[in-house]
Amino acid sequence: MLSLRTWILGVKSLLLHPMRSGLTILGIFIGVASVIWLLAIGEGISQEAQKQIEDLGAENIIVRSIKPPDDANASVRSVDLYGVTRAEMATIELTIPTVEQVVPVRELKQKFIYAGNQNATPLDGRLVGCSPAYAEVTKLKTARGRFISSTDLETNDSVCVIAAVLARKLFPSEDPLEKAVFLPEKKEFFKVIGVLEPRNATAAIGGSLSAQDFSLDVYIPITTMRVKMGDEETRRASGSFSRELFELSQVTIEVESPEEVPRTAKIIEATLYMNDEQRQDIAVIVPYELLEQAKTTRLMFMMFMGLIAAISLIVGGIGIMNIMLATVTERTREIGIRRALGGTRSDITNQFLVETISLSVVGGLIGILVGLLCPYTIRLARTIFQQVQPDMYANLPDVAKVMEPQIVTMSIPLAFGISVVVGVLFGLYPAMRAAKMDPIEALRHE
Amino acid sequence: MSSTPSTTPKLAAQIRDLTKHYVLKSETVRALRGVSFDIPEGDYVAIMGPSGSGKSTLLNLLGCLDRPTSGSFMLGSDDVAQMTDDELSGIRASRIGFVFQSYNLIAQLSVVENIEVPLYYMGRLNRESRQRSTDLAGMVGLGQRLDHRPTQLSGGQQQRVAIARSLVNDPYFILADEATGNLDSVTTEEILALFQRLNDEGRTIIMVTHEDEVAEHAKRIIRLKDGLVQVDEPMKNRKTFTAEEIETISKNAHLANQADEEN
Repeated sequence: MLSLRTWILGVKSLLLHPMRSGLTILGIFIGVASVIWLLAIGEGISQEAQKQIEDLGAENIIVRSIKPPDDANASVRSVDLYGVTRAEMATIELTIPTVEQVVPVRELKQKFIYAGNQNATPLDGRLVGCSPAYAEVTKLKTARGRFISSTDLETNDSVCVIAAVLARKLFPSEDPLEKAVFLPEKKEFFKVIGVLEPRNATAAIGGSLSAQDFSLDVYIPITTMRVKMGDEETRRASGSFSRELFELSQVTIEVESPEEVPRTAKIIEATLYMNDEQRQDIAVIVPYELLEQAKTTRLMFMMFMGLIAAISLIVGGIGIMNIMLATVTERTREIGIRRALGGTRSDITNQFLVETISLSVVGGLIGILVGLLCPYTIRLARTIFQQVQPDMYANLPDVAKVMEPQIVTMSIPLAFGISVVVGVLFGLYPAMRAAKMDPIEALRHE
Repeated sequence: MSSTPSTTPKLAAQIRDLTKHYVLKSETVRALRGVSFDIPEGDYVAIMGPSGSGKSTLLNLLGCLDRPTSGSFMLGSDDVAQMTDDELSGIRASRIGFVFQSYNLIAQLSVVENIEVPLYYMGRLNRESRQRSTDLAGMVGLGQRLDHRPTQLSGGQQQRVAIARSLVNDPYFILADEATGNLDSVTTEEILALFQRLNDEGRTIIMVTHEDEVAEHAKRIIRLKDGLVQVDEPMKNRKTFTAEEIETISKNAHLANQADEEN
């Protein structure tokens, strides 16, 4: 007899002990809210990671040069070449059919200054020698003017494209286009032919690819860089003197389709490590594999989060069971009366089940409401934290700062379903215990 | 009720050779050793007996809360002795009106809702039955307190709610277990007057008590001893309330109600 009346009666019985019922609901509510929260945060983090990897391009393979640790005995006159070479790049481009194109990059730390105002403090930035395809593979967009063209490469022109932040700092009051940027260390001038749109920094991925900040970049044709600066870099910093010799900082290899990436990556690795399996001066980064890895990691992460949430729900369920067992004992007399007045065993079971289900449903609904507040709460917490403890906030990992919790739609019916199941499951035993009571004994109970 | 047409008064209940044995660890306790009697409709029986006489066991059997070891218990045309637990629940809901010593109202329900409980278990709750419950509350003098909780009522008032509840399913008999045991003498009179009124209206009442003064109000007395019927006879020197007395008592009770209300 699961009539409306039974439900009203159940709720009435629960309202007889508002504090007790409230605390029981709290247990379920925390369980349900934590399911939604943990899944939302997990989803937020993994989406963020996935986005960062996708920014690298799923159809790309990146070969990066790694500067070997400084050798104290290194001779001043001779210095070893490290990193990926133009020859290797050419081999990859010419011998592997699935390779669509290769994009070489050479990066140097440089100081920049506006040629028209040479008294200003030079600005620290990054000089990037690249080809026209670089804009496409790193998803750079030109705001004004144009990016480097293949003609620029052929003619070794002294032209440059500058990043948005650098443009603003270098040319606070002037239009940078057609103006010249001066590199005091190299004594070279470059004419600005384009300004980029602002681009978010990429995070470090997998240890081998450090975070890249594109905001202070100056892009020049890689051929111009080679002609004007050679492959050797000499830096003098506070009396010390260091030299390094490398041809390319990075080669981005675009494969014809993401499906071909794993196979192509194997061949590239075989090519690069052919002569020296132990070489430490390069790293091959395969975003596609990272993406696949991230998907597995995400699944694991979600399972882990789900497990924690499940545990808290079970704890909530045990709370319900505990309370209901106490309630059943306390209401032995009532059970006796109801049995004497014609209640069957199943009537009694239903009555107590209705009570536990009411508790868990209410707890579940509140949990869903609070669960849905997750993104707002996180945002608010972040803002407050930033205001109260700015230093500590700055030290937070990037993911914690930018991550937006994504409510997993499935988690709502899931959490609700689980809370009802928990109610039934943990309510069943106390309810059956109530039903099993001998009415005569129960009536005699004081 | 009973379908057999007969010249003798119809029977509310008929008990034949009822025995009940309890097995405790090593020994068997024979609580009832063959009890037989009839309860005709309209009877008013007091069942008495010292502790250990089988009085409580008989009460549980009469109330269909328990099954006998052997013998038969005809309630109308049905032998309830061998019924299943669920069938017994149905019988309790539809054919028996319980009145307990400690009233046994359900704390979270109002007066009307308490009266309705047997109907609820019969699955017969509707507007009509609500009206019937309200009428019964009025009959026992609690028409003004339909929405009160048991805790807001005095002992006598609670017992009157319980009596109203015992009538709601139009039972074969009212089974009163020490119904006045928790009440003072004035309230006891009040309840006994109510019982007599109900009996005068044709209700069958079985009253289990250990108090002679209470038993004296019944028409017939059954004394149990050692699990057997020792005495089964009409009550000698039966005490009855006159119609005027019943009126005065219920009026006083009504006045007391009003006094409570004002306080």
